[in-house]
Amino acid sequence: MIRAATLALVCALAGTAGAEPGVVERSRVEVQPGGRAIKQIAIENPLGDVRVEGYDGNAIQIETRKQAPDDDTLDRLRVSLVPNPDGTVRITTTADPAHESPPVARGAVRIDLIVRAPRDARIDAVAGAGKLEVINMDAGGELDTASGPISVRNVAGEVMTHSVSGPTSLAQVFGSVDAQTISSNLELDTIGGERLIATASRGKIAGRRVRSREVQLTTTEGSITLEGETPLRGHMVVASLRGDLDIRLRRAGAVRIRARGAKVMLGAPAHDQPDGWVEAQIGQLSRGVNPAFIQLRSHYGIVKFSIVD
Amino acid sequence: MSCTEIQRRLTAYLDGELDADRGSVVRGHLRECEACRLVARDEAALRDGLRTLPTLDPPPSLWAGVQAQLAAAEVADAKRPAWRRAVARWAPRAPRFAAGGLAAAAAITVLWWRAHRAPADDPSPSPSPVATLLAPVPATPAVPARGVTPAAGTDDVTADLTHDPERASTSYAQAADELVALATEARAQWSDERKVAFDTKLVELRATVDHVAEGRPRQRAWRELIRYLQGAVIRDEIALAGGAR
Repeated sequence: MIRAATLALVCALAGTAGAEPGVVERSRVEVQPGGRAIKQIAIENPLGDVRVEGYDGNAIQIETRKQAPDDDTLDRLRVSLVPNPDGTVRITTTADPAHESPPVARGAVRIDLIVRAPRDARIDAVAGAGKLEVINMDAGGELDTASGPISVRNVAGEVMTHSVSGPTSLAQVFGSVDAQTISSNLELDTIGGERLIATASRGKIAGRRVRSREVQLTTTEGSITLEGETPLRGHMVVASLRGDLDIRLRRAGAVRIRARGAKVMLGAPAHDQPDGWVEAQIGQLSRGVNPAFIQLRSHYGIVKFSIVD
Repeated sequence: MSCTEIQRRLTAYLDGELDADRGSVVRGHLRECEACRLVARDEAALRDGLRTLPTLDPPPSLWAGVQAQLAAAEVADAKRPAWRRAVARWAPRAPRFAAGGLAAAAAITVLWWRAHRAPADDPSPSPSPVATLLAPVPATPAVPARGVTPAAGTDDVTADLTHDPERASTSYAQAADELVALATEARAQWSDERKVAFDTKLVELRATVDHVAEGRPRQRAWRELIRYLQGAVIRDEIALAGGAR
């Protein structure tokens, strides 16, 4: 990878806010595209929040806010910006080692980034305990936090989110979604696109206005509630080990449902199968048209399904 | 050389591990000492008896137990102060007779298992032999709960940042381990074909975790493994694909 330039953001606009503890430094920098348009922005900020906002422009504007107990520690906080000729821009933050100054706990320092980016740039962002927020983008991205919350709003394209313990919220996402958490909840609101895959180990999944053609929601412990539309000739699998399932869908064509749980309520005439599953069909099948297929499974929870008008 | 010293060297002598001079000394002593000769004969008989035992595959649960104890011992060792580990490293080796004792104990364990093992068609659940592959060794604490900055330790911020990848991996490993435990419970009802398919895939995914670099590549590998486990345990994907359940 050839680096066209390396810029270190230093205090362009410094100031101290009275209400904030320690020393605060704010800066702002704008990066104009070189030979090629900016196609991807990779951000890694383990020290604070990241907010990426799409806008109708070609340049990247970066606002940085650093906070530390004193000036010496503030000088250790670095933001580096590396634009590459292939259209990728990399923004990373770090803290230099304390050579002569006393050690500082991680919780005492902070770097927050606000990045205004061209809408058609793909975002690849990593944060630690800070909030990771992406809004108004058109090329999707991959977002990753340890314990920080993830928020995605009004984004098109393929979106992947991963968090260990940060709650994840995706709203108005028009494209395939792949969201995974370990011990936090997942909220989905107004999701369209070819595919929605969401898993949570010890968290809940709550979805509203979900219209993806292929849906797969899985939890180990948490409940799953879903309100949306039946996938037209699509496929939906909602499964949990111990959580309850409550699925309410608006129907768009015939639906075949197969369910199994500690207790199953399908809201339609159902037939018990010898293998323990319960099956029902809602709507008339048209010749040559496959119905939507919905499979609901909770090993120890209650399975509830209903068609809403 | 006294009888005590001779008996301390008997196992090595019988294993042919003594050099020519020391072997000659032991051999000469045994020619004259009836007591040592009896001890040597008993030990040789035990060794011969162990060799005549048929080859036997221990049950997965036995291996899982051994692995778990080894993992626990490693964890305990990691928590010990450095000076204690150093002392333990340089401490004199246990007497060679301990090897004979261990071999005897192993033989007794195997014989006991043979006498008490369940019939081949016993449907009692057996844990997956791969279950222990996932047992995480929490050398690094997991990612803290939401809103807690992982800087509560005494590290300086720069040093603390270097632990982030390991923290995330530890969290993923714990989640995977929980799912493997669930799979271990569930596999009692699986067909043999399903068990083999599951174990093979799990070993493959776990190997990937071990071979990729720490950081995002390893976290991706963990996530893929977790997804596979969720599919197998919660969505019955192996059963659906194979039609066996």
